[in-house]
Amino acid sequence: MTLKVLGEFYFSQLQNKPIWNASGERIGRLLDMAMRWDSISPHVTVIKYSKELDALIPVEWIASWSNEGIHLNKAYDPRYLYPLHEDETFIGKWLLDKQIIDLKGSKLVRVNDISFSLVAQEDYQYMVMIAVDIGVRGLFRRLGIEFLLSRISNNFVSTQYIKPLESRTSALQLTREKEQMRRLHPADIADIIETMDYKQRASFLDTLDSQQAIDALAEMELDAQVEIFEQMDEDRASDILEEMPPDDAADILSELPAEKSEELLRLMETDDAEDVRELMQYEEDTAGALMTTEYIGLSLSLTAEEAINELRRLAPEAETIYYLFVVDEQETLKGVLSLRELIIARPDTLLKDLMHTKIVKVSPFDNHEKIADLFHKYGFLAVPVVSEQDKILGIITVDDVLELLMPERSRGEIYSTLFVRRYQPPAEEPAAKGGPSE
Amino acid sequence: MSTKGRLALFLAIMGPGIVTAFADNDAGGIATYAAAGAKYGYALIFTMLVSTVLLAIAQEISARTGAVTGRGLSDLIRENFGVKWTFFAMSVLLIANLGTTVSEFSGIAASLEIFGVSKYFSVPLIALIIWWLVIRTDYGKIEKILLLLCLTFFSYVVSALIIHPPWTQVLSQAVTPTFAGTPDFLLMAIGVIGTTITPWGQFYVQASIVDKGITAKDYRYTRWDVLIGTFFTGFIAFFIIVATAATLFVNKIPIETAKDVALALEPLAGKYAGLLFGFGLLGASMLAAFVLPLSTAYAICEAFGFEHGISKPYKEAPVFFGLYSVLIFLGAAIVLWPGLSLYHVMLTTQVVNGVLLPPILIFMVLIASKRGIMGEYVNTKLFNIISWLFTFFLILLTLFLLISTLFPEFSSFLATGTQLMNYCFA
Repeated sequence: MTLKVLGEFYFSQLQNKPIWNASGERIGRLLDMAMRWDSISPHVTVIKYSKELDALIPVEWIASWSNEGIHLNKAYDPRYLYPLHEDETFIGKWLLDKQIIDLKGSKLVRVNDISFSLVAQEDYQYMVMIAVDIGVRGLFRRLGIEFLLSRISNNFVSTQYIKPLESRTSALQLTREKEQMRRLHPADIADIIETMDYKQRASFLDTLDSQQAIDALAEMELDAQVEIFEQMDEDRASDILEEMPPDDAADILSELPAEKSEELLRLMETDDAEDVRELMQYEEDTAGALMTTEYIGLSLSLTAEEAINELRRLAPEAETIYYLFVVDEQETLKGVLSLRELIIARPDTLLKDLMHTKIVKVSPFDNHEKIADLFHKYGFLAVPVVSEQDKILGIITVDDVLELLMPERSRGEIYSTLFVRRYQPPAEEPAAKGGPSE
Repeated sequence: MSTKGRLALFLAIMGPGIVTAFADNDAGGIATYAAAGAKYGYALIFTMLVSTVLLAIAQEISARTGAVTGRGLSDLIRENFGVKWTFFAMSVLLIANLGTTVSEFSGIAASLEIFGVSKYFSVPLIALIIWWLVIRTDYGKIEKILLLLCLTFFSYVVSALIIHPPWTQVLSQAVTPTFAGTPDFLLMAIGVIGTTITPWGQFYVQASIVDKGITAKDYRYTRWDVLIGTFFTGFIAFFIIVATAATLFVNKIPIETAKDVALALEPLAGKYAGLLFGFGLLGASMLAAFVLPLSTAYAICEAFGFEHGISKPYKEAPVFFGLYSVLIFLGAAIVLWPGLSLYHVMLTTQVVNGVLLPPILIFMVLIASKRGIMGEYVNTKLFNIISWLFTFFLILLTLFLLISTLFPEFSSFLATGTQLMNYCFA
């Protein structure tokens, strides 16, 4: 079996070109083409030449394609035209001029033109969609002035790297798209979501699994997060909030209108909602508002070995595992130790003999400035927040404080601003958290 | 929802319509309304009131489209009409906005000339400041300061009240359609419409609604935002015309420079009239000079898929920064052309805006009447008829202007016709 390429075409060159029947009469113009995208390469199945949806010409009736027009063979019969099948999609209507995700460049781009190859395999000819043109040259081609840019190369994204925002492809194709989405960095997904309109966001968030959605949301600024939650369907929003770190969820919920956040809290699982509610009661500018309740608290009476086992169980949920907090039965904070100290300790040492008892701690009502100063002075990765009775309420981690310290970047009020990030393979843990500093 | 809750929501959503309204009364706006009052007395109040109603319609369409689709106007034009039409619409927008930017810089130059600063010094400096501030700082804060400056235009309201114009005459003229076929009058009428309803104002209000994240379900609050904004545009315009008509028209003082417009404020501010006017004009011109080049660059890049965003480095978005810089600096450079009358630049650009408005309106109405895009928020039939009538009326007016300029004898024919018409109405 040999494949032979017979010619290359652009959608812009075929569109509106005349269609002739076998006896050379002009029967109309090419308005659009529909394709089927089930296997690896999407191919044209029918062409549209009248306004009616069920009067399409199948490609089998086409004798020859050229940039002057299309000649049909004798099989053409206006009485037996084809309707559009469920698995076929109009290319012009669905792709041309629309925004798609360029999975290679990890961003939202606009389709300026579409390129096809006419391929022959044995007796059959296929018009295969090869790539979408997202470059300036495609734009100029559409305007009929491509010659001005003949020295600039085309900017193509081949079909396997595009994800149209409105999915009209087969289930098989969808699984492949999901697979590809998984390769995008959450920061890139965040950027893409921010450039979308609210309807696109809704359908796009549905194609992500919860974890992906949370990771992407975590990369966004609070303003953007709030906007997205305001626009999101409530059930979905409460599901995502449950899975988020409670301090982040509390931040978002306290920015939302009171009625909306009450509604979302009501929809959340009771346990999660309670955690979040607790955090929300603190004033915006205090340690309480900054802390998370997901810390690792270990009992006084554990040995180092037992503690490591316990750590295995608790680690996935916790925000940081480099600092371990030792508590008694009343959850009163008795001491701290670092992960390093735990690991190098003899397995049978008791935690109470291992821990430091001079602890730097803050009250939930301390202000941000004081906390930032503490982190600066001691170089901590995390600080415990305790009640007046020394009961541990939560912890503040260094990345929460870092967010406070970064000056708000300038933004144009009228348009959302976006950071451009280069793709980086997700590291296991940021380097800054590499080890305890004491 | 409680009344308090509703009020809070309204205040949160409010903004885009009101900011657009104040930016609408920019340098060109002030110049045009003042000229209309000084030259034709109260005759153009009717045109102004009609165009305010039309502004409400146009802004409502844009705001609704923005809230329902979550997209900018240029984005929608591209997706629904293809590259060629988009190119056409963007060319129109670019020309109109370059013109308007020129008029904003004229306003800046004229206002600072009142304080005795030469335009060869003020214009390049302000252009640089604006260019730099937009890229470097939080625009939101600057916007509030400029809006405060714009409040000085309320002084026209006070001034007009102090003068005690013949209110019965004013009001009767305000509801009497007056029309003259002379090119001058047509020019003025188109100018008044062109300054009230601008292509960029439509793009801008839609973009800021999208940016605020307003969705279809919050739309009823946005409608009030837009209507209140439009009311203020008309309110201030009305009093500018009244104030200038009662002082300049009555005393047969022609307006040659922006300074003359300040004369209408003398009853209120005496010798400080110039100062008051200068601050107001500076605020309005700066407000528009900030948003215009930026929103133009956004709209064009959005339509053609070029990278855009002010937080991006220059290398990532060269077209965006290029367009933005060219608009500011070319706009400023044109103002510095020797021997150019700043006042006439402000007037002429409003006429250009009026002539270029119909194509943009056609796109807007077409989009807002597509059920596939707007869903249940699609234009009603009555609304569509009004919008189309308005569009055709404007096209007709533009054609009249063209014809009466090319064939002066036609205008006398028109004049007789309109006299007859006026006679019938009166």
